[in-house]
Amino acid sequence: MLNTPTVTMFDLHVVLPAAALVFGAIVLMLSEVFLSSPNRTYMAVIALVTSGIAGVVALNNAFEPARLVLQGFAVIDPFSSFMTVMVCLGTGLASLLAAGFLKHRNAERGEFYALMLFAAAGMSLLAASNEFITLFINLEVLSVATYALTAFLRRGPRPAEAGFKYFILGAFAGALLLYGAALLYGATGTTRLSDLATLLPGAMATRGGLVYAGFGLVLAGFAFKVAAVPFHMWTPDVYEGAPTPVTALMSVGVKAAAIVAMVRTFLALVNGLDPQVPFILFSLLALLTMVGGNLLAMPQRNVKRMLAYSSIAHAGYLLLGVTALFVPDAARSSDAGGVLSATPLLANAAVNASVYKGILFYLLGYTVTSIGAFGTLAAIERREDETRSNTWDLERLAGLAQRQPGWAAAMAAFMLSLAGVPPMVGFLGKLYIFSAAVDAGLIWLAVVGVLSSVAGTYYYLRVVVYMFMRPAAADAPATFRHWTTEVALVVSAVATVALGIVPGPIAEWLSRAGMVFGG
Amino acid sequence: MTVVPTAHYLILAAALFCMGMLGVLVRRNALVVFMCIELMLNAANLTFLAFARERGDVVGHLGPFFIIAVAAAEAAVGLAIVIAVFRNRGTVNIEEIQSMKH
Repeated sequence: MLNTPTVTMFDLHVVLPAAALVFGAIVLMLSEVFLSSPNRTYMAVIALVTSGIAGVVALNNAFEPARLVLQGFAVIDPFSSFMTVMVCLGTGLASLLAAGFLKHRNAERGEFYALMLFAAAGMSLLAASNEFITLFINLEVLSVATYALTAFLRRGPRPAEAGFKYFILGAFAGALLLYGAALLYGATGTTRLSDLATLLPGAMATRGGLVYAGFGLVLAGFAFKVAAVPFHMWTPDVYEGAPTPVTALMSVGVKAAAIVAMVRTFLALVNGLDPQVPFILFSLLALLTMVGGNLLAMPQRNVKRMLAYSSIAHAGYLLLGVTALFVPDAARSSDAGGVLSATPLLANAAVNASVYKGILFYLLGYTVTSIGAFGTLAAIERREDETRSNTWDLERLAGLAQRQPGWAAAMAAFMLSLAGVPPMVGFLGKLYIFSAAVDAGLIWLAVVGVLSSVAGTYYYLRVVVYMFMRPAAADAPATFRHWTTEVALVVSAVATVALGIVPGPIAEWLSRAGMVFGG
Repeated sequence: MTVVPTAHYLILAAALFCMGMLGVLVRRNALVVFMCIELMLNAANLTFLAFARERGDVVGHLGPFFIIAVAAAEAAVGLAIVIAVFRNRGTVNIEEIQSMKH
């Protein structure tokens, strides 16, 4: 007898945003074939409208109660739906940036926007995946689209090299994750995360070695994807070499989706393990990533590379939030004898709720800020410079306040937000994450985070100093303006400031209970 | 007929995975590195299949189909990128593909 799974319309809500994105991507690819208008800005508008529709659908999903869907292969919860909203916001803004950028390089093609939308569909589904094979497929959907986007301007030497490095390390990370998943499947006989959570404590007794090996490999795979130190080597080269709008999308979308998937995976995988193991591993990753990212960013004169290292530091602050979920409950683990304790680590629901709010608000703030910062760079960089090594040198920003006062003001807002200076949104994001970490008992790690973020202010403010206090070079070229770039910069600058001043409704909504299924 | 025990498959898979990982870390030719990654993915497939056979589980058998399909898509994009690099540089040696400063 054929055992057909029952899938109701209610289950399909989880794939609707991704379906809208894929549909838009197909329309774009067909329009590339059938409409050969010389002005292709309409493609960016199609991409924007598609991500807007997907974002609205995802926002509607965010009000549904958290539950398992599609036979437990996916989860629909406010955490993943809100992540999809942020991805759609990021994709829409990045496609506006891309319109001006590609037009200037005479490389506007439907495939570019289609690949962006495919990547966004992968991110949206990755955040909702609740099973290892599904998770791997969605991770690869987003990665393969991003490899192609990175190498899109393939005639230049840097994009091809960046695409190549990203591809090799991304595929390597994917293979680590998959082998880890295979070992965990061997230990428990399931690949569904919610079943793993219940079966792992039993499997620890019989096949503990497999569980630990699988856990380590999955963690290493995710650490590559979120660019945590010491798995970050690819990030600066890839971020520098990729076309700037693609870098913007990578720094926000790929990272956000990977962090959300990481939270969901490890909430299931820590069950049954010695609670100290995940805690120590995550604390170490967070510590190294926060300190390493900031230290490596300091000597950079190349602004795009500096922002790449800064994105590593920001991943570190997010990992600090993730670590706060895995703080062992000292009293509980000592009565159970520690090692094979089957008690869930996550006793303190209030701390977890504040961590989820911190992570999501931080990601929202980072999305608008980082898109804006890379967008300003995309706006001032010129095609003729592509092969030179000083394309993104600080000197290029000198005197921007006289040449383009609006852009300089926006860039200053983005830099202050990245540095975490009030009243920008970056300050509140850091405040929520650090206070959640302190509530969870991670006082020392939070202190290190605050200190490293203060040290980071140096390289962000240096950009502001160059823009406002250094004279423009005499041969400073005229900037290439395009209305879509201006719209994207205005939207991200307004959001950076406005969300910092009036976070109220969003922050309140994010702190309600039931954000993460089973969390 | 004697049945091959699961452990043998797992040892073979682990050996393939380690060979692949070492290859990615030490080999310098981009195509060989790429083949090593495929080796790692196949080690994961073999592990899934060995455990699925031991447990008589269908879901475990299905996983590798998806993984093979994903690996094929990845190969298409990856080889295209390798060709783009070769056209630019005339080499696929990883040590020579380092134009960005660290």
